[in-house]
Amino acid sequence: MIAVVDMGIGNLQSVLEAFRRVGAATFVTSSAEEVTRAEAVVLPGVGAFGDGMESLREKGLVEPLRRHAADGRPLFGICLGMQLLAEESEEHGRHAGLGILPGRVVRLAPTSRTCRVPNMGWCDVHPVPRPDGKLFARVPHGEAFYFAHSYHVSGARPEHVAAMIEYDGGTLAAALEHDNIFGIQFHPEKSQDAGLEVVAAFIDAVRTLPVRA
Amino acid sequence: MVRPRLIPCLLLKHGLLVRSQEFRTHQVIGNPINTIMRLSNWSVDELILLDISREDVHDLRRDDLAVADIGATAVEVLRSISRVCFMPLTFGGRIRTVEDMRLRLEAGADKCAINTRALDEPSFVAEASRRFGAQCVVVSIDVKRHLDGRCEVFAEGGRRATGRDPVAWAREVEALGAGEIFLNSIDRDGGARGYKLDLVRAVSDATTIPLIACGGVGKYEHFAPGVREGRASAVAAANIFHFFELSYPMAKKACLEAGLPMRAVKVNSPYFPREPSYSDEQKQRSLWRLEVREVDEEKYSGKGRGKVRWCTSCVYPSISAAPLDFDENGVCTGCQVSGTKHWLTREEWERRTDLLRDLLEKYRCRDGSRYDCVIPVSGGKDSYFQTHVIKNVLGLNPLLVTYNGNNYLDVGWRNVHRMKEVFGVDHVFYSPSVDLLKKLNRLGFVIMGDMNWHAHVGITTLPVRVAAQFKVPLLIWGEHGYLDLSGQFSMDDFPEMSYRDRLEHFARAYEWNYMVGFEGIRSQDMIVYKYPGDQELYDLDLRGLYIGNYVYWEANEHTKMVMETYGFEGNTEPFDRTYRTMSNLDDMHENGLHDYLKYVKFGYGRATDHVCKDIRAGLMTRDEGVALVRKYDHVKPRDMARWSRYVGMSEAEFDRIADTFRDPRVWRREHGQWVKDNIWD
Repeated sequence: MIAVVDMGIGNLQSVLEAFRRVGAATFVTSSAEEVTRAEAVVLPGVGAFGDGMESLREKGLVEPLRRHAADGRPLFGICLGMQLLAEESEEHGRHAGLGILPGRVVRLAPTSRTCRVPNMGWCDVHPVPRPDGKLFARVPHGEAFYFAHSYHVSGARPEHVAAMIEYDGGTLAAALEHDNIFGIQFHPEKSQDAGLEVVAAFIDAVRTLPVRA
Repeated sequence: MVRPRLIPCLLLKHGLLVRSQEFRTHQVIGNPINTIMRLSNWSVDELILLDISREDVHDLRRDDLAVADIGATAVEVLRSISRVCFMPLTFGGRIRTVEDMRLRLEAGADKCAINTRALDEPSFVAEASRRFGAQCVVVSIDVKRHLDGRCEVFAEGGRRATGRDPVAWAREVEALGAGEIFLNSIDRDGGARGYKLDLVRAVSDATTIPLIACGGVGKYEHFAPGVREGRASAVAAANIFHFFELSYPMAKKACLEAGLPMRAVKVNSPYFPREPSYSDEQKQRSLWRLEVREVDEEKYSGKGRGKVRWCTSCVYPSISAAPLDFDENGVCTGCQVSGTKHWLTREEWERRTDLLRDLLEKYRCRDGSRYDCVIPVSGGKDSYFQTHVIKNVLGLNPLLVTYNGNNYLDVGWRNVHRMKEVFGVDHVFYSPSVDLLKKLNRLGFVIMGDMNWHAHVGITTLPVRVAAQFKVPLLIWGEHGYLDLSGQFSMDDFPEMSYRDRLEHFARAYEWNYMVGFEGIRSQDMIVYKYPGDQELYDLDLRGLYIGNYVYWEANEHTKMVMETYGFEGNTEPFDRTYRTMSNLDDMHENGLHDYLKYVKFGYGRATDHVCKDIRAGLMTRDEGVALVRKYDHVKPRDMARWSRYVGMSEAEFDRIADTFRDPRVWRREHGQWVKDNIWD
């Protein structure tokens, strides 16, 4: 079964509903023991980075999540959950992240007035072509997904960037993917058919990834 | 680059969605679940739901629907909604504390809209932003323009002036940490004149957070200037999305055609199909009434029961099958709106008829390949009038379509079959298998207390199916029943038929597939009740107009005319349950047993409906009306015997099951008898 981590902030129901609609069984937990045993873990979340890390620390989930990732078991960070995978964030001060993937979380700072912060709404997502890419295997190039964020992951390794959006004349990482580690900045549970195809692709990945002992 | 968003905004008032006019008049649209499910079919960019209730009390006000209990508080209602809301959701209204906000986010909102609370205590915006992140905090700003041109921000749903300037206030909330601004124009609300673009532009230019414009959209072409000239990040509207088939995809199409880089139009989500699905358990549970042997005395003890009230102008009760609301003088929306209809001038009716003429020209067939339009007819006086106007006044070539529910009175039967002769038109007269009809009569009665479910769904489905199959893009209906009866619309809304209206109001949210599996009914037996798919409707741009919005509708005059000109026969025998004689000759149960069940459920019947219309038309006083209500509403009609024989159910069993439908908001038990408050008490 797939564990969905409850960090005590924000709404889990729509994330659970998304998994239900693609036919995947999930359970909600904030227990270190259950996370340790889970086949795959989903780290959803909205809210501030510092609060998110604090919540994981309080529940004793930081080490179990790192171990889970290091064991090669699938880990899926959504929105804030993706940012928590990075090394650190500058949101309201400086906070260390899980450090599972290289990268820093920095504030969106557009120079153009047409780009607004938060970046709120539907952006076309451009998957980076790669032979082993899993998350975007089921959606056409340029499909729009729903974003609601003021911070983003910067400085990720190019080979980890699974998809990008255009923003303020440049690009931003919209998704990260490295072996068993997956992260998306957008909200798949709010991105309708395209979002559910990404959730379904994660489920496909869970079923096909080799299990390391 | 983020795409501009197109956002429906729904208003929730005490459990029901309402239409709003200048923030004052609230006409009941219906159950939020049905509307939001429909929006979920269409890949809607985002949804704003504003709770404009005066107190935290929510009630759908009737129990005989597939979706009847959605919760009694805003948070409970939101939780029910979030199960079917497949798009980003902003919830606003009555948010006072951080805890209020937390509860709403937890119940399924993605963002919260704050208005009055922010004005009273601006630091609340900062607190909410710190706690939940700026992307969760939408500040809603309601603006009214004074006669001297000055704009002012109002609090409490437009009721309290604040002295604040909208641009300065927008800047301030941005600095406090708001993530988005929802800008609404009070004086444009419900007016259908377009956005107040200079205001939108001024606020947008003064801030760097996203801005949603709202207020004033009356046609799809009004959206694009909000982004183009107003520079809004998103454009929203409320009323327009209620009244047209595929309203959202069609509005999107208009925006795309105007060059806005919005997301593409999408219908038919594979993950969110239009037809509801029902579990076998839910279906089996709905037969519980068959097993009931005793009255549930506790349920009808009268405890915790609200008081039924009646319109102070007509005789409509507050607990009713037709949705309505009351103003501060206790006058129902039916009276408020039917008033506006009678005030329309001759010139206005001429303008409306010209609008109809233009529409018909647009849909007229040029190459002889199809009919110009479909007219659904029962063979009643209204059918004759519609066909008279369309064929003989406006010169179109219609196809008449009739659903035969096997309940015709003899005179109704003669009338319907005379139409093809006296009008010289083609007529599809469609008769489902009588065996199926008997089953659907029984099931409709036992499941929802309405043996005529099949007729309501058949009449609103079959003609649309026939139109789609013949590739005819236009249907001409008579009058929208709820305009006249409960004032659901404004005369400027020009509502058209829609799948949502059909499923929610005619089918009571019981779609055809609900019946599959009962009494051996299979999917292929229900073909007549299957509505054309969204893609088919979209490709054909299939529309169903109500002629009553365009042509002055005066039942008494029209009846006289169709009798004299076309040999329409009136009924010679009086009905048991109403003093009128001319309606529903196509279905003996519609004015009879079906209507008696309305009395059993809600405590009133057809005589009340007719009295309300006649009081509004100035044909009788309220006291005269009350006397008729007292005489007719409770009468058990003679068609009981036919129905009992027809479906094989004894009258005793009928009574026992019917009693389980009594609404505890209306009925109570006293000394083993059914008792209710009465308008004449």
